[in-house]
Amino acid sequence: MASLADALPATRLTPRPRRPAVSPIAWLVGPALLLFVIFFVLPFAVMAVLSLLSGNPAQNPNVYLTSRHYVRFAGDDLYWDALWSTLRIGIVTTLASLLVGYPLAHWMARMKSRLGHALLLMAVIAPMLTGIVVRTFAWMTILQDKGVINTTLIGLGLIEKPLPLMYNEFGTVVALVHIYVPFMVLTLTGVIGRIDERLEQAARNLGASRLRAFAEVTLPLSLPGIFAGSLLVFALSISAYVTPFLMGGTNVLTLPMLIYQQVSSSFNLGFAGALGVILLAVSLLVVIAYNHVLARFSGPEGLT
Amino acid sequence: MTDHSLPASADIRLEGVSKSFDGKVKAVDDVSLAIAPGEFFSLLGPSGCGKTTSLRMIAGFEAPDAGRIRVGGADITDVPVHKRDMGMVFQSYALFPHRTVAENVAFGLRMRSLPREEIRRRVAAALKQVALDGYEDRRPGQLSGGQQQRVALARAIVIRPPVLLCDEPLGALDRKLRQSMQFELKQLQKELGVTLVFVTHDQEEALAMSDRIAVMNAGRVEQVGAPAEIYDRPRTRFVADFIGEINLFDGTWDGGRFIAGDGRSLPATMNGARPGAGAVAVRPEKARIVAPGEGAVAGRIESANFLGGQVLYRIAASGDRHMLAKETNMGAAARPVGTEVGLLWNEADAVVLEG
Repeated sequence: MASLADALPATRLTPRPRRPAVSPIAWLVGPALLLFVIFFVLPFAVMAVLSLLSGNPAQNPNVYLTSRHYVRFAGDDLYWDALWSTLRIGIVTTLASLLVGYPLAHWMARMKSRLGHALLLMAVIAPMLTGIVVRTFAWMTILQDKGVINTTLIGLGLIEKPLPLMYNEFGTVVALVHIYVPFMVLTLTGVIGRIDERLEQAARNLGASRLRAFAEVTLPLSLPGIFAGSLLVFALSISAYVTPFLMGGTNVLTLPMLIYQQVSSSFNLGFAGALGVILLAVSLLVVIAYNHVLARFSGPEGLT
Repeated sequence: MTDHSLPASADIRLEGVSKSFDGKVKAVDDVSLAIAPGEFFSLLGPSGCGKTTSLRMIAGFEAPDAGRIRVGGADITDVPVHKRDMGMVFQSYALFPHRTVAENVAFGLRMRSLPREEIRRRVAAALKQVALDGYEDRRPGQLSGGQQQRVALARAIVIRPPVLLCDEPLGALDRKLRQSMQFELKQLQKELGVTLVFVTHDQEEALAMSDRIAVMNAGRVEQVGAPAEIYDRPRTRFVADFIGEINLFDGTWDGGRFIAGDGRSLPATMNGARPGAGAVAVRPEKARIVAPGEGAVAGRIESANFLGGQVLYRIAASGDRHMLAKETNMGAAARPVGTEVGLLWNEADAVVLEG
């Protein structure tokens, strides 16, 4: 700090007025910005424009502006159900990941032993090294009617008919939680690890039980991590395609599946675009609402 | 939980308390202490001496492996932290960053489910006591180090604990602020009449503030006594060396006289020391600089450090050893470097060490 402060007046003495006021470090953001524009902003803009056109302007020059894709969505319960199912899967997966991930993250963050921490970190990250398809198939062998759980329970005589563990939202959520919980854990571990342990000790010294100290101090201070982790898991699970497709079978229809159908078999890019815009808009609303709820708990400075 | 019938202060007794971490080195090794009610008691020692672990055991954050801890006569060894009813000021203050100053101070009262109105009143009184009224709605991050320190203090005393524990509370403050906080903390402690256990590695701070000091080293208590006693009559080599500067002489007791390693007899009275190998120590300010032939030790001034009120001389004596002597600055010029001098002291000023 001192050396930096000492250096400052010196640089002021030799100003270079022609240089633009952009920090050289800002240029390092360039590649990321470029990727963001080319692979998100541009395609999304194309999709949004297509969703308002009557056809594909590349094939048919006589296109006109229309709201019919949105009207079609609004007029059919199938699409509302798909939207609601997508959000429900996203929300339940997020909450379940939080419940599973928070204790694990807390344990990891407070672990004294470096070896233990490294081993746990490996255990959390290792599943991410196998593909999503592989992990989903693993869950299928566990949850299906002739899977590990059902055959065991039937063999023990506890049930007669197999439990409906997959080809529904339950199975989808189970697999999604397993796949996305590392994102929650890693985000939370970083945030909880930065909370001074002595704060909790101070609370206990002042008469709070362990649980109360956690609720009064650690939990509110970890809200930014809860928010960031939830956001990640929510975003990943509402846009998941493979897992709902494999685990949900014909009983689960989510917007990403619908979009895939529209693109690959109906070739209706306009309607697919409309679905994408709706999914993004609705999930943004959910995220904003969630942020408000959390901010209420943490006060003005809890969330950054 | 806190009822008002609690005495303003309680005595603390540590009885043969030991603690080791990971089953290895003993952080605290068979420590016994008796701290009187209302006493300002310091645990002083270098880092790793077990002073903080001892404090944390009193607070309940660590459980002793052996021994008992009693407060106000009651055995609290197995009482959980949140039921011990002790105030504590942490080294880094440990203020809740997500809460305002008033909420921080109110925390302990809220945990005791006191009525809202009483909490408000006591928080206001505590903040006034530490001269922070008007800062209720600030957040800790908006306060200076000294102000944060006061909030931490207010938060600890507002619950009217019989015992106040302080873990190097002034360590993060600059020297000037530190001195004024030393006075304030001591005054507040006397006003409240609370028993205060103060952990520090700063011997000046301990000497300035404490009623009594326990000097700790390697998990053991080396000596317990009033500041003057610790300074003037250190019992062990460690205490003599740790507190202030001192000149140490190894030698032997022979017929009531102390013979230094080089065969010279030094001024000292045996004072119950065992005959045979022993050690004496002389504080630099007790050593007088005299003419070369007249001293018990002869040497040459190697350097003179001007300390303001005093001048500290480093004197190269025979046999490659160095001695320190302090003279009050009376306005005369410091003795020039290179002067041949002698050092002399009163027999009574030579401290006999246990070994």
